[in-house]
Amino acid sequence: MSDKQSTVLGKDIGLTSCPTCHKVTCAKSTHCSRCDAPLTVRDYSSVQKSWALLITATILLIPANVYPISTLTNQGRVTQDTIFSGIAHLVKTDMIPIAIILFVASILVPILKIVGLTIYLSAISFKLPISKKRLMTGFHIIEWIGRWSMLDLFVISLTVAVVNMGQLLDAKPAPAATAFALVILLTQLAAKVIDTRLLWDRLEAKDDSSTNA
Amino acid sequence: MAMEAVDNSITLCQSCDLVIRKRALPTGVRAICPRCHTPLYDTPYCSINGMLALCLTAIFFFAPANLFPVLELEFLGSMRTTTVIEGALSVYHQGYWLVGIAVLTSAVIAPGLLLLSILMQILIIKYGLNSPSLRTAFKHALKIQGVLTQLTMLEIFVISFLVAAFNLADFATVSFGFGTFCFTMLFIMTLFLMREYDLEHMWSYLDER
Repeated sequence: MSDKQSTVLGKDIGLTSCPTCHKVTCAKSTHCSRCDAPLTVRDYSSVQKSWALLITATILLIPANVYPISTLTNQGRVTQDTIFSGIAHLVKTDMIPIAIILFVASILVPILKIVGLTIYLSAISFKLPISKKRLMTGFHIIEWIGRWSMLDLFVISLTVAVVNMGQLLDAKPAPAATAFALVILLTQLAAKVIDTRLLWDRLEAKDDSSTNA
Repeated sequence: MAMEAVDNSITLCQSCDLVIRKRALPTGVRAICPRCHTPLYDTPYCSINGMLALCLTAIFFFAPANLFPVLELEFLGSMRTTTVIEGALSVYHQGYWLVGIAVLTSAVIAPGLLLLSILMQILIIKYGLNSPSLRTAFKHALKIQGVLTQLTMLEIFVISFLVAAFNLADFATVSFGFGTFCFTMLFIMTLFLMREYDLEHMWSYLDER
């Protein structure tokens, strides 16, 4: 019995684990005995919260890419760069490796995160028949790579600080920077609030067995 | 049945709530949830004195990493330098306060607090686990540990030095300052420190005694 039928869940035997310190506690208690954090067996509102954050992030992704993210004054000539045109400019000046790094961090990662989280949340909300294991692997990847989008903002802050010589050469941030920062913040939060145990509750056995085989 | 089952021999997967019976693991092996493949637990190396050494070294590099210039730019004979903090403040003063706060938090405040918090935890483990007030402080430090680790983005900042330098090479002569060296060292020390650090193991100090 132990091999195949070992899918006993914590909530079935009246146990839950603390989200903060991972201690296993009786599900009836309201607070963790070790770290005093509030306990919930399942956080059903987390799906709604995550959807709200994700939708806001998706909307903000548009201004983040349409508006310029930096303004450069070079000998009186003002050019404004969006995220994409900045990368295109790097490709033109033959700095392909840097262009690839920036493309991955500022375009690919945010889009992949939003698409990935949308699929993940849809699977929970609409019970889509997608392999849970694959969703979970994707989720762990999303959690990990999300931070790398900060790269572009770091580069902008360093550039702005070092390039300030009035009309000759001057760099300034532009409106998309704030929108982009919010996209990163909101998508990180959207991934953080979600109670992943819900995914494993909702789609039962059917999809488990298909990937186990 | 439910009450007596609360013992240390079982654990629940954080991602899918599966009940797992714990087994002793050899070092360097990690237990993975059979259902959802989330890492569960491992046997941490975690030597307290080793962590103390790494933590103190990282703290030693922290101040110069933030006070010395990281990038130096020469343009028509005039020299501009910037430190990490100046970078954050300059976007802040341009009106992009959200970006400024994000940069300052992830490159200066969070890493600083993280190192101080770990130093405090180590010292409490070594000398103060018997005092109730220190135990409470230890508990609070462990609670915010996860957030501080998430907010610490030293590795990304190190890459951003390179990207910024290559970006600017188009317009002017760019060189790295002494701050870059210290910042990179800070990053490496923190990296090794976080490899030693195991939150689960830290929590278990509260169970003993």
